[in-house]
Formats: sequence, C-alpha cells, structure tokens
Amino acid sequence: MSITYLEAIREAQARALKEDERVFIYGQDVGAFGGAFKATKGLAKEYPGRVLDTPISEDAMVGAAIGAAIEGMRPIVEMQFADFSSIALNQILNNAGTHYWRTNIPCPITVRLPSGGTKGSGPFHSQSMEALYAHYPGLVVVTPATVEDAYTMLLDAVAVDDPVIYCEHKYLYYHLKADELPVDRLPIGQARVARAGRDLSIVTYSAMVHESLTVAEEMAADGFEVEVIDLRSVKPLDTDTVLASVARTGRLLCVGESFPWGGVTAEVIARVATEGFHLLDAAPRRLNAKDTPIPYHPNLWSAHRPNAKSIGAAARELLRE
Amino acid sequence: MPQIPIIMPQLGESIAEAIVVALKVKAGETVVADQEVIEVETNKAVMSVTTPCAGEIASISVEPKETYAVGAVLGYVEASEADAAKFTKTIPEPPLEKVAAEVPGREEEKAVAKRQSNGAATKTMPGGLPVPAKTKGAGFLSPRVRARMEELHLTNADLAGVLGTGAANRVTVKDLENFLQSLERHSLGEASALRNGVADAMRRSWTRPLATIGSSVDLDPVLTDRKQRDPKPGPALYVLRALALALVEQPAAAGKLVGNRVAQSKSIDIGVAVEAEDGIVVPIIRAADKASLGELATRYAELVGLARQRRVLPDMQAGGIAAVSNFGSFGIEWGTPIPLPDQTLLVGLGVGKKTPFWDETKNAFVPRTEAQITLSFDHRSLDGGGAGRLLQRVIELLGAPEKL
Repeated sequence: MSITYLEAIREAQARALKEDERVFIYGQDVGAFGGAFKATKGLAKEYPGRVLDTPISEDAMVGAAIGAAIEGMRPIVEMQFADFSSIALNQILNNAGTHYWRTNIPCPITVRLPSGGTKGSGPFHSQSMEALYAHYPGLVVVTPATVEDAYTMLLDAVAVDDPVIYCEHKYLYYHLKADELPVDRLPIGQARVARAGRDLSIVTYSAMVHESLTVAEEMAADGFEVEVIDLRSVKPLDTDTVLASVARTGRLLCVGESFPWGGVTAEVIARVATEGFHLLDAAPRRLNAKDTPIPYHPNLWSAHRPNAKSIGAAARELLRE
Repeated sequence: MPQIPIIMPQLGESIAEAIVVALKVKAGETVVADQEVIEVETNKAVMSVTTPCAGEIASISVEPKETYAVGAVLGYVEASEADAAKFTKTIPEPPLEKVAAEVPGREEEKAVAKRQSNGAATKTMPGGLPVPAKTKGAGFLSPRVRARMEELHLTNADLAGVLGTGAANRVTVKDLENFLQSLERHSLGEASALRNGVADAMRRSWTRPLATIGSSVDLDPVLTDRKQRDPKPGPALYVLRALALALVEQPAAAGKLVGNRVAQSKSIDIGVAVEAEDGIVVPIIRAADKASLGELATRYAELVGLARQRRVLPDMQAGGIAAVSNFGSFGIEWGTPIPLPDQTLLVGLGVGKKTPFWDETKNAFVPRTEAQITLSFDHRSLDGGGAGRLLQRVIELLGAPEKL
C-alpha cells in the first residue's frame, strides 16, 4: 500500500467523521465534487449530511463553524487556498481566537489551509499564512511536513479544544508518499529531529523540511553533518528541541517558505538569541522567500522561494564563519 | 581538438580558495605540460597553477585579484589527442549537479565555478575545512566560544597559539575543544593563586602600548656611598629614591591616561618588585620622596620580609604610581619589564659590571662599575622625550648618592 500526503488528509477526515459524530466538514465544493484538491473525495457519499458545500464566502463559512463549535460540534473548514482565508480573518482572529478567553467556552474549529507554492500558481494561490495566524493569541498553528504528520496532526487538530489552523502544503500533496498510515505519533507542540547532525542546525517546517534534507544529504558528501529540525507546529513552538539542537551544533539556519518580515524564522532566531546566545558559534541566519508578491513564471518562482540550492549556499556560508 | 581544463589545484590541507595574483600566459600562446601559467595566493603562500598538458592556451577565464575555489576551472588548453590522453588531473565533481535534476526549479542550473567579487565569501566550497584568504572575522570569538572560555577560566591569551579553522582563522568552538583535548597529552597541574594573579596583571597591562628605553649608569658612587650607611640600602633602593625625587620635579611623567583625562596621583608611592615563590609581588613604599634613604631602607627591609613570606596584603600593593625592578639581582644586564597594569612607569636596574669607561679629563679608559637602567612606560601617557628626561634625571641623581 502506498499513500500520498493528500490521501492521508482525506483518510484522517474520514476517520474523524467515523469516530466522532460531532465532526462535520464545511467548505466550497467539498461535497459531491470532493474539494478543489479532492481532499474530501467520496466523503459526502459515505457520511451523508456531514460534508457540506458552502457559498463562496470564507467569512460565512468560518462564522457558521464557530457557532457550531460553541454549541459542541467539531467542524473542519476547508479553504480552497490558504490565501483566501484572509477574507475570514475577523472570524478567525477576533471571534475564534478570543472566544475561550472571553467566555470560558472553547471554540474547537479546525481550518484547513492548502498552503505554499507550486510552479505557476502566482501571488494568490501560493502563499503561506502560518506566521500571520501564529501572531495572534488563542490559535494553534500546525505545519505538517510528512504523510504521517498530515494524518495524525489533522486528527489531533480536530481533538484539540482550541481553534487549530492546519497548514497543509500543496506541493507535498502528490510528491510525498508513505507505505502506510502511522500508528504512533508525536504530540502537537513537539518538534522532530528529521536528521541528526553535528555541524549546523537547519530549523524549518512544512515543504522546506524536504529541501533542507536534500541539502543535508548533499553536504554529507563534503563531510558536513547537518541536523534538520522539523518544527511540525509553529505554535506552540518547541524551543527546547531547537535549543538542544543548537547546543549540539553551535550554528543555526532557519528556513521558511513564507515572506521574511517577522515570521516563524524570526521568532525562532529571537528565542535562540535570547535563551541560547551562549550556544551560538556563529551569528544565526534565516532564509525565506523574497519580500515581494509570489511570481507566476516558473523561473521567477524558483528564484523567489528557498530551495535546496539557496539553502545549501546559506548553510555553507554559515559554516564558513 | 580537445580542450583540457586548467583547474585550481588543492593547494594544501584545509585551503578552499585562492586569489589570482598574476596571469603568465595569454590565449593563443603555446605551452608545454606542467608549465606555470597562473600565480595564485592563499593566506599561507604564493603558488603556481600549471598546465595539465602541452598545447595552446584556448582561454583564460579568471582575473587578477579575484578569488576562486579549489576545483574551479581557470581556463582551457587546446591539446592534440595524444597530449590530451596524457591529461591525468580530474575535475572534482560539483556536488550540486547530482541533485539538480530532482529538485523543482533547478533543471536550468549548471554547477559552474563561481567567480567571487571579493574573497570574503565564496559560494562554492569543496571538501575540507574552509580557509578564506581574507581577514574578515579575524579575532572574533563567538558567544559560544566565549561562554566555554568563561566556564574554563580561559582568556584570549590562552588561545594565542590556536590557529582557528573559521573565517580568517577565527577560533571556532570545535577548535577550542580540539585544543583542550590536545592539552591532555601534556602533564597538567594547577597554577598557584599567585601565578594566576601575576598572569592576570600582566595580561591586563599588555593591553597597552608599552615601550622601554635604557641607558648606562655609573654605579660606583652608589656603591661607595652605600658602605658609609647603616643600614646599607641596596642599589635598587637608591634608584627608587632617585626616581621619587625625579618625579617630584617631573610629576607629569607618572600621569595615567584614562579615557581622555589624565589622572595624577598626589602622593609619590613607588613599588618594589620582590620575587616570591612562583610569582612576584610589588609592595609599595608610600611618599618615597618624603622619607630619607635610611628610613626607606628600614621600610624596604620590612616589606621584603613580608613579601618573601607572602604576607603582603592587597592594599600594600595598591595605588602606586611607578615601580622599580632590580632584575640585575638575577645577573641580568638588560630587560624590558612590564609596568603594573595600574601604573605608567617601571624602572629596571641591570647587574653592575666592571667596564672600561673613556674619561675625557684623564684622556684614558678608566674602570668603573656600570649597569644598564631601563624605563618601561605606557606610550599613551608618555613619549620618548618625557621618558628620556625622567631617566636622565634619575641617572644624574644616582651620580650624587650622598644627597639622596
């Protein structure tokens, strides 16, 4: 058996629907059509009345889900693209994010954001929104990088009482395959050492984990052992695992696919600089997409986001210091 | 005809790149095998890159003053099939090429030798540790190295002998650990508290630009005068007394520069260096200008006694403006002793020796006991002229010891 990242997301939703009758799926064309990326393929037929098409209004989708969650349901909202979730910011940030603090009543919604770049998708269908959501209190933001995490973290997202922003990477949908669905899992909030090393720590998440692993393999040929940390969830952020890694290597490179300003990489470096300054043998670096809208042209897109080449160059520069 | 690349060779262990210094050939020139065609410089030496085989220079693709990685193609030789067959050097495979095909957006990339606009950072680096030819980052100690040094009570001076592998040979934490491991091959013992104290004082003092001047001094008047006194002061004490009187006349010489201000002590307190077990202590004689040589001799004897028993308390060593070191007592003629970190001046006295001296009045050489007297000073506060006048005055005063 072989299962893709996208199929794992579908399987997790099927299992959630099966095991918890409070779960329902809400989104544009998620029903008979099976979703823009077929992440809900066949689920409407298997679970009649629980996989519901919505109008093209992200604001209304999330608003309705919040209402249902307050009343005890466990809705999963599918955005067609992460980029369009900005239309629902008021519902997600102001209503869902603050609800428990205001009322002591939890708001357990899961918002699925098909995130990140694929070739030729351009500025409105390629963005990564995790930094924006992580900025606001009250939300859990997860960024699975593996088929296993895509499956277990979605199940955890549904089970958690807080609103969870589930950032699934579109590039990984078909490119990533596993032999089978996982039995064990790491909890949300715990990072994973994707590759152990001793010379440099690359701290990253989502699709950039794989680019970084490519770099680590490539640099092993030159005698460098690069450690790759997959953050898994950017909020909560597992500072302990990051610091332990920097303690081993003394060098930190943070890589993120999203824009550079502020953001997850900046947060990781701020924490390491504050708590682990004495561990650093070189100034920490970060690598992000360029601070411009995401280009359509495949060559420009390649130059815009970090890839194994630019990560490798940054890593080598950092190792030279 | 085949074109054979001219490659930047592996120039030595842990050398990753080199700067092109000179091109000795042009395109179109005929060359023989192993002919020196390009001169390159690393931080260790100037070396030559040679042709891989005989032929004609097809192209030279590098420019002087630019930095190129080991393994980079610097040009091509157009060779006959027969000569090309003798070509034995191989190009190291660029590591990036292997994965280029598998990673999105990388199909168009060809791993080529990258020319650097300046040597401070190279984009390609073949195996081995990187050693850039530039000095950016030299002397930098990372927070981690500093933290580790603090943990082990190490100072910068302890790392003086470590050639680092970081940028511009900076010491990385790995270098530090390797160095510490290498120490295990030695026999290791604890340094005494006094040794540590002296080391610390000397290190702090050495942060300043120190200079030393010296001259001969006739010791016979002192040695004659000494016999008539009771208790008998040592020559170093005559020097101390003469220095105190000279400083009364030239107090600015002992001024201490702190930031953009000069601190001038109101009392002429002068220390005497005394050797103790595994170190040196410098007890201070207060107001040395106000006591007679006889009184000084008594106080000096007491202080030396205390110093030898290591009972000189910290406040007895604090606050002097100058010190005297009698290194002549070790049979030494000349030295450049280091002033104490909180003092500007240190006068040293070498061993007295019978020397022929040209006497102008007798028009003949006469024997005299001569010693070398030195003045070490902080050149921030004092210049050669000021230091010279002070030392000359001390020598003059030593010529009339009965007045001291």
